[in-house]
Amino acid sequence: MFRMGKSDHAAIRAILAGDKEAYGALVARHSQSLFRVAFRIIGNEADAEDVVQEAFLRGYRGLEGFESRSNFGTWIYRIAVRCALDRLGSRRRNENDRVGEETEPERSQVQVADSAPGPGRLLLSGEIGAMRESAMQSLTPTERTAFVLRHMEERTTEEIGVALGIQPNAAKQAVFRAVEKLRRRLAPLRVNR
Amino acid sequence: MKHLSEEELVWRHYGESANQSEGANQSEGANQTDEHLKSCAQCAEAFEALTRDLAEIAPIDPPQREEGYGQRVWAALAPSLEPYARRKRAWLGLGLGLGRGARMRWGLVYGAALALLVAGAFYSGRQWEQQRKPPVTAVRQAPAPVKQHVVVVVLSDHLDQSERLLVELKHAEPDSPEAASALSDQARNLLVANRICRQDVTGADDPALAKALDRLDRLLAEMASQPGGLDAAALAKLQDEMNSESLLFQVRVLRSGISNRRKAGKTRLNGGAI
Repeated sequence: MFRMGKSDHAAIRAILAGDKEAYGALVARHSQSLFRVAFRIIGNEADAEDVVQEAFLRGYRGLEGFESRSNFGTWIYRIAVRCALDRLGSRRRNENDRVGEETEPERSQVQVADSAPGPGRLLLSGEIGAMRESAMQSLTPTERTAFVLRHMEERTTEEIGVALGIQPNAAKQAVFRAVEKLRRRLAPLRVNR
Repeated sequence: MKHLSEEELVWRHYGESANQSEGANQSEGANQTDEHLKSCAQCAEAFEALTRDLAEIAPIDPPQREEGYGQRVWAALAPSLEPYARRKRAWLGLGLGLGRGARMRWGLVYGAALALLVAGAFYSGRQWEQQRKPPVTAVRQAPAPVKQHVVVVVLSDHLDQSERLLVELKHAEPDSPEAASALSDQARNLLVANRICRQDVTGADDPALAKALDRLDRLLAEMASQPGGLDAAALAKLQDEMNSESLLFQVRVLRSGISNRRKAGKTRLNGGAI
């Protein structure tokens, strides 16, 4: 049974005292934000849902190590980021079929000057979206995760460092490398802009 | 004039300093960058281009989850979790993470098997002794932990293979009949092993494992019962079933738990601390 009124800390105390059901309230409260970040990192709905479940599972198992002064939302968010990063890493290792996505930028120049909506423009916007996704795919898992956290989730480099288990300077470097790569890959979109 | 580097521009865009330092130095660095941008047209232009490029990369909008999404996650997760107090007692026990009832039942099973082995060995020894009158030799019996380890290994391997099959099913494309046919074959092979494992865990006081093996049995049976392989509709139905029951996740959790037991058992066999 969910006890939505309970604070996160009260729920954690109850869980550690043996009330497993109290975890349901925490899961219900934080699932949406975890799904959002997982989806942004992974880019796939089913895998993002798996990451959410895995994060809550890891969270439950590590609840004894949770410091009562911390914020549960931040803590579980970091776990989800690590799960997503792990998932991205293992998916990359297993992927054999992403060769086709290595589009040569010179061959894929897209003209975006025309602003009139229509089938051609819709097709073009789909193409642009595909190029963006392809550019994101060109990043390493750490670069992609760091970039998503900085650019889309608006986390500071210190927060990114903690979430990824790396030094803030390394997090900064990862974000910068991601920006460099993305700009290079998306350069064709700038034609006629 | 020394121009700003791309990195400095990037961090100015994000409102941070390029050098990772604290407080005053950060804001001092930002002020210097701002001053430079006001006085250097080239850097200002580069900054504008960067801002435009980054604005093009809009945040990815995740698909909306339904209102009860959190409860759905909890429903999938709950069977895999043990209450904290119970879990502590279990780990203080034999160290294999089984519930008390499960340990007692498994203990009885192993005890009976061991007794049978001893009796069989004794009888064989007597027969052989009477026929050949050899010197008396001690019958070496496998210690109980070895047997426990074997059961855990078999289950661990089965769950590992099942997980791989479910991952393949999850990513299976309806327009690949070869892949679908291979899935049916694999399901047929796993079905027998699954039923043996299911029988083994009957009464082992591990409802999560028993339930997952039951669901797996149903799914494998459906996959295996398509002699010509799986068509697109059957594949979609199986994928729906698998997703709605979070079967892959449950198998993953169980496999991870059993794998930990396996490692613990191995450590124990090697004489190490658990």
